[in-house]
Amino acid sequence: MTEPVTKSVDAAPKAGVQATRVGRPHASWALPGVLFFMFFAVAPMALAVYLSFTEWNGLGDPRFVGLDNWQNLVGDPRLTQSLTVTVLMTVVSWAFQTVIALLLGVWAAGKQRNRAILSAVFFVPFLLSSTAIALLFFALLDPNFGVIKGDTLGTTSGAFLAIIFVGGWQFIPFHTLIYQGGARQIPEVLYQAAAIDGAGRVRQFFSITLPQLRHTMAMSSVLMVVGSLTYFETVLILTQGGPGTDTAILPYLMYEAGFKSYDFGYASAVATFLVVAATGLSLLMVRITGFGSMRSVREGM
Amino acid sequence: MTTVSPHKTAPAKGRSRAKRSNPVAGVASFVWLLIVIIPIYAMITTSLAGPEEAAGRNALEPPKNPTLDNYGLVLESGFPHYLLNTVLAALGVVAIVVVLSVPLSYVAVRNRGFWSGGAFRLFLLGVAIPAQAVVVPLYLMITKLEIYDSLWAIVLPTAAFAMPVSVLILTGTLRDISEESYEAMSLDGASPTRMLFQLVIPLSKGGISTVVIYSALQAWNGFLFPLIFTQSEEPRVLTLGLYNYVSQFGVNIPALLASVVLSGVPIFVVYLVARRALVSGMMGVGGK
Amino acid sequence: MESYSRRWFLGVSGATMLTAGLTACGSSDSDSGKSGGQLTAFVWGDDAAKIQEDAVRKFNASSAAKKTGGTIKLQRIPGSDYPAKLRTAMGSPSAPDLFFNWGGGSIKAYVDADQLIDLHDIIESTPALKNGFLPSIIQSGALEGRPYGIPMRGMQPVLLFFNKKVFKDAGLEPPTSWTQLLDINKKFKSRGIQPFALGGADKWTELMWVSYLVDRIGGPEVFRKIQGGDASAWGDPAVLRAAEEIKSLVDDEAFGKGFSSVQYNNGGASTLLAKGKAAMHLMGSWEYPTQLGKFKDFAENDLGWVAFPAYDGGAGDIKNVVGNPTNYWSVSARTKNREAAIEFLKTCASEEYTKALIANGDIPTTANAGALLEDSPNPEFAKFQYELVQNAPAFTLSWDQAVKPDWSAPMLTEIDKLFLGQSSPKEFVTALKGLK
Repeated sequence: MTEPVTKSVDAAPKAGVQATRVGRPHASWALPGVLFFMFFAVAPMALAVYLSFTEWNGLGDPRFVGLDNWQNLVGDPRLTQSLTVTVLMTVVSWAFQTVIALLLGVWAAGKQRNRAILSAVFFVPFLLSSTAIALLFFALLDPNFGVIKGDTLGTTSGAFLAIIFVGGWQFIPFHTLIYQGGARQIPEVLYQAAAIDGAGRVRQFFSITLPQLRHTMAMSSVLMVVGSLTYFETVLILTQGGPGTDTAILPYLMYEAGFKSYDFGYASAVATFLVVAATGLSLLMVRITGFGSMRSVREGM
Repeated sequence: MTTVSPHKTAPAKGRSRAKRSNPVAGVASFVWLLIVIIPIYAMITTSLAGPEEAAGRNALEPPKNPTLDNYGLVLESGFPHYLLNTVLAALGVVAIVVVLSVPLSYVAVRNRGFWSGGAFRLFLLGVAIPAQAVVVPLYLMITKLEIYDSLWAIVLPTAAFAMPVSVLILTGTLRDISEESYEAMSLDGASPTRMLFQLVIPLSKGGISTVVIYSALQAWNGFLFPLIFTQSEEPRVLTLGLYNYVSQFGVNIPALLASVVLSGVPIFVVYLVARRALVSGMMGVGGK
Repeated sequence: MESYSRRWFLGVSGATMLTAGLTACGSSDSDSGKSGGQLTAFVWGDDAAKIQEDAVRKFNASSAAKKTGGTIKLQRIPGSDYPAKLRTAMGSPSAPDLFFNWGGGSIKAYVDADQLIDLHDIIESTPALKNGFLPSIIQSGALEGRPYGIPMRGMQPVLLFFNKKVFKDAGLEPPTSWTQLLDINKKFKSRGIQPFALGGADKWTELMWVSYLVDRIGGPEVFRKIQGGDASAWGDPAVLRAAEEIKSLVDDEAFGKGFSSVQYNNGGASTLLAKGKAAMHLMGSWEYPTQLGKFKDFAENDLGWVAFPAYDGGAGDIKNVVGNPTNYWSVSARTKNREAAIEFLKTCASEEYTKALIANGDIPTTANAGALLEDSPNPEFAKFQYELVQNAPAFTLSWDQAVKPDWSAPMLTEIDKLFLGQSSPKEFVTALKGLK
């Protein structure tokens, strides 16, 4: 809040140098929203931390057991495996989705009619819910009665790639749209200048399009990373964490510990870990993307 | 209203470049087109096949004796009821999110106090927190609140977790309202309340519609909350209904796929009617 | 401002309607739990649940329902989620009044939390219940000698089902010994038929193989020690031997290549057997009603069954049975209408209900069942099953229900890893010995 403002990306034009005091609502206006969010989102996080120190099977009241769950968690090979799978899945699906969405988005930014029609078609998968999409591929991949017969989901790499693919199939339309919006805002004059300097198409892409899209890419990446942490439905429907525990990502590990083994204390420890990891990630992203500085931009108005 | 003239920054748009052809990306788009279309095509043709024909057929051939029986079966298996629940839940989520985040974002943008800054930071942090992570404590809270197995159990937490991104979108839009606009209104002696209704809301329609779409999609997509917080038929939403069809229809793949097709129809209709709004709304989620 | 206020009005009225809608949904539901009269009952939502649906419909129209002022609302819960749904509902204020379970370990947590009605006194004072069932069956579901459940489905021994037509075409007979089984596998494989259907996506289907092999190799005592809670008992050589046999079956592709993504709950494995893609299927006796529901012709003409084969040189008797005694209805201690619940339980002992189960291919555990078996759609199957259970020297309860609840999920995961080849038989045994 205190950092001096040096950049003004696309802030509204400034009227007076010093800000006036008009149109300033009382802070209490924010109260209902804040309280609601605190109650249904922040309080559960605190409760998750508390529950991680208890033993609770879902019946009766949680019983305090100190660090037991955490000790189990640290020594648990399932956590190591789950963490590896989660990170791997996040990275691979980020790469897969970014490359395709970037390419398609920049292409679709053109104004040709065929591109407009194709972008309309590209968008269709996004209209289905994640559950519906997971079911669609579950049915198509059924080893005996599906359309693509064979043991896709029964092998470790097959199941892993299927989840990546299904995630991409669902979310690439959305990210394409983001890149399309971003690409349309790149000033044409940059390309004209580059063309005068004799830069080729590939060069233009790497020295103009990509740098100009860095904010778009940051935003899209945040959403992708957060999105891939929540591939829960896909995993539950397609593989149930299998084969074995090879696709049991963290949210699935938590679900299984809680709602299959009824070890809600342990599940809460996993949940707390997930919240801490996600918060760390979110802080990092905020720093990189400069969301936080948007406020500072305004401060200088 | 006429005294207000919002200043809008017109984004620079490509002109000549926009018309250039691009063979590499063109080929990639064609490949992706196939990837998008083939599963959808296989889904629709299979959903029209009879149960006997389905097992052995090649998915890329149209069914020999197309039938709508599968769709009939889905419609008789509670589908309309689930859809209604989903619509109700989505409306509930949208209403809560809009009513709470508009004033909140207004404060975050216009009030420089310590508390409003803190509130904004709080929501900023919430952006990356997956709702899945807190399902266990939420389950405990929901049973204590005695709303287990009702639509409220889905709506309230879904709305709470849709708020961070909504606030982010709205603050982004609200910042574009110029200082003169507020000043002009204050000359008329407008209170912050009047400004909210006559200036802030009308000028942030774009942001609000993005928030509406975003939060409606959260409700539309929600699966884990309904799975854990409801169990009976009455509050069952579409995603959970679809999931239950897996056991109910078993290896009757055509019926399962018919339910998937049907689940896409309502939003497809929305897409056809309001494609522009939907697409620009989704672009809005990405920010500028 | 005109248009604006109109929109505002629409918004407000929309919000009002919405609130009304949400509340209506919420409240109508909580009414059903609280009105005292209506009871909810959770049942495992497979094909056989239609028997319970009929029974509930008849009960709701009966004079007993009127007298006690209670009607029952049955909720079918899809199979794979049943235990989790039950647990979350039981932990909430809207717990079911009656629910389907497997007795024993499956209800231990609820008994420990004082959530179930101890039915001992009720059974003793109600002749219809006391004399209505085979006494041993009520006891099998009991915990520390106290009964918490009334039998509501058939006996469930695990049998080796086979497709008669596939066997006939190959000129083969179903196996009675392990050597024969291996020999038959080879012959089916050369004909391009998968020897066994296995719904490996549901881990308990794999457990059946482990349980029977351990029984046939080492006898029922091996598991009896494990069940006692002694993790070192997993070190018995029979467990390792069984794991090795499973590994060689898997390596031999006896279950097909894709078994780990085939489900039982959605009917995948049963369909493989019915369509002749697989020759045999090790499954609980409910496979018969399942097949009858899905593939009537096949169930009536081509579905065969035998006991699990003997293991050459093994200590276990071929007559030993693995499975579940039956399923039970238990009553929540929080029910608002205990009388109605008990009246409903009485109907489970009735001749009418028994006949309905028999007609569905089940072997009820009611005292009068023996005399009615002739009415079964397949008396031959009914008698086979009845006699198998009657004559079994040992009846081993499904391991996942029998071991202490903390072991159940990790045990199933280890078994799954063994089947998937992710752990070797030795690693499998080591992992199980490490259970706490």
